[in-house]
Amino acid sequence: MKYNPVTHAIVEKLKEICGENYVFTDPEKLEPYSHDETPAEQFSHLPEVVVMPIKTEQISQIMKLANKNKIPVTPRGAGSGLSGGAIPVCGGIIVSLEKMNKILEIDTQNMMVTLEPGVITNEVNEKIEELGLFFAGYPMSVETCFIGGNLAENAGGGRAVKYGVTDRYIMGIEVVLPDGEIITLGGKRVKDVTGYNLKQLFIGSEGTLGIITRVIIKLLPLPSAKVDLLVLFKDIKQAISLVPKIMTETRIIPTSIEFMDQLSVQSSCEYLNEHLPYQDAGAMLLIEVDGNSQKEVEREAEIIGELCLKHNALEVYVADNYTTQERVWAVRRNIAEAFKVVSPQQSLEDIVVPISVIAEVVEEIQAIAKKYDILIPCYGHAGDGNLHATLVKNPDHSYQKWLEIEHGVLMDLYRLVKAKGGTISGEHGIGSKRKDYLSMVCSETEIKVMKKIKEAIDPNNIMNPGKIFK
Amino acid sequence: MKIIVPIKQVPETSRVKINEETGTIIRDGVENIINPLDLYAIESAIQLRENNGGSITVISMGPPKAETALREAIAMGADQAILITGREFAGSDTWSTAYALSALIENIKPYDLVITGERATDGDTGQVGPGIASFLNLPLSTYTGKIETVNKDHIIVQRLIEEGYERLQLPLPALLTVVKEIAYPRLPTLRGKQKARTIDIPINSGKDIKVKEEELGLKGSPTRVVRIYRPQVTRKGTILQVKDEKTLAESVDKLISFLKEKKIVSF
Repeated sequence: MKYNPVTHAIVEKLKEICGENYVFTDPEKLEPYSHDETPAEQFSHLPEVVVMPIKTEQISQIMKLANKNKIPVTPRGAGSGLSGGAIPVCGGIIVSLEKMNKILEIDTQNMMVTLEPGVITNEVNEKIEELGLFFAGYPMSVETCFIGGNLAENAGGGRAVKYGVTDRYIMGIEVVLPDGEIITLGGKRVKDVTGYNLKQLFIGSEGTLGIITRVIIKLLPLPSAKVDLLVLFKDIKQAISLVPKIMTETRIIPTSIEFMDQLSVQSSCEYLNEHLPYQDAGAMLLIEVDGNSQKEVEREAEIIGELCLKHNALEVYVADNYTTQERVWAVRRNIAEAFKVVSPQQSLEDIVVPISVIAEVVEEIQAIAKKYDILIPCYGHAGDGNLHATLVKNPDHSYQKWLEIEHGVLMDLYRLVKAKGGTISGEHGIGSKRKDYLSMVCSETEIKVMKKIKEAIDPNNIMNPGKIFK
Repeated sequence: MKIIVPIKQVPETSRVKINEETGTIIRDGVENIINPLDLYAIESAIQLRENNGGSITVISMGPPKAETALREAIAMGADQAILITGREFAGSDTWSTAYALSALIENIKPYDLVITGERATDGDTGQVGPGIASFLNLPLSTYTGKIETVNKDHIIVQRLIEEGYERLQLPLPALLTVVKEIAYPRLPTLRGKQKARTIDIPINSGKDIKVKEEELGLKGSPTRVVRIYRPQVTRKGTILQVKDEKTLAESVDKLISFLKEKKIVSF
């Protein structure tokens, strides 16, 4: 597909739509919009123009303009994505949703809030905390990411064991289609089987089908009590093999079961200047239980803690107040950032497997690491079977060699997860980063159906092109 | 070696909201925690006990719910805890608090060392530690950053001062107030929590410690909180405008001479 460049005339029209101050083309201002959290050297691409609309109608006009002139449009939230979803790989227009950041309505009767897509996810929870409500989505970038991006990627995160992922809480959306038409899907209805579930189609569509401009999310009563356990194990195998047992043996569903190997903990601790006793611990689990009775939550935490000690945990630490909980969670949340400091050349993976096989998968990943002579530290949402194995470049290897190795490791890794009943992305998405590997886990027919849907909604292929499909 | 660690329960201030009219903290729904800087005192005590044997008693003066803070300290590794609580203590300032705590410490002697945090994150005065030392006539090292050696009759420490460190040798018993760099506080353990849940924490009132009733609480406090307000920040930044090559060079020169003036760079 050949696209048309963004001409001076197009820029002028965009300025007419959005106002002079909300459109820019100076290269230094474009640069921050050329990458997300994937390594820039490998995946970045400059847009030709960035526009910052403040209302849906403007986005509709932008899309009409772009569709008519065959100019690619890439919607962008906070740019905290991990698969290149917000990168304008074909150039064209970036529609940044950063100015559409209002909480439009807090509806306590229905326990729902209506948001613009540029609201920072954590802000929602800060705003509604005093009402005793919360939004259960909890991506690790919760302090920076936008709700619109959470939807576009169907973000998962640290509470999915108990609360599921973003889509469970999305009641309604407003979307601007590639031709500029505006549609609303769903609403404040708990049940709805009127026709195809188009709302679901847009959630996790990685910005390839339209731009989400308004969101209604469901809230839950905020649990009044939670306890975190930080459990140290001698090695990875002991830690990870306990993960399914936590649920099968205690019959307690924790909010989170997070896994971190030694290198992950060490890197994050050094990055944060935190001191957890990781020296003798090959791996750690971070387990959270929540509920509405402090006593009951403590009892559940104790049962899980005892199970861990029975299975050779070296130590079980308990965090039952905000300060201590923040301390342990900060270590988990900052691992990805920390690795970037260690080596900017890396590949943060997002594999997901049935939790019953997670221990064998982790073991085989270490064998792959050995074969290619690189480090593959592992951490992630073990309770969901979702692991962020991170391929880190060996400093002795050249960049060219690293690219070869990266491809080889990914082929081996993806073959492994496919064989174990897993897939290549649990929550980060395919984007531009993994599109070459989609056919390893999706059948030809499956991909054909997806492409037909894409063609039906975006016949000119201007909506975030270069993503998901080769 | 017997170590006493006075601690304070404070509101969790990282998320705290302020009543703009009265200038006071809105305490509804705010979690209460061990004063974060006291964690360093507890950790230092635990490390001393690990290396030299002995026992650690944590003490606190506060409302009955301050018991939670003491139990948390037990969960981290302290051996026992004592709480002083009662209406007679309400409204105590730093002088009166130090007076009551020192009376309790006097009550449970002998001891070798008293360790406190540098200050509490709510009152922010840093006076109670030195106040206790004064009442008990103990040698004092404030802002202690490192404990070098300790034996049965003295301790050698380094205390942080503006230009570096001061090395002190103090005869025991002594009092140290410690700063963050002294140690990394450990997390409470499950076994510690289990112990903390069941341990008996003696509760002392004004009658149990030898104190003069009239020196306690608001009436015994020589200082008063008259008004709390937010200080206005008057600092203003200077912006050096760069329009062309010439103003660029001028701006850089101005910046360098400013940094030199402030002794931030010297060349």
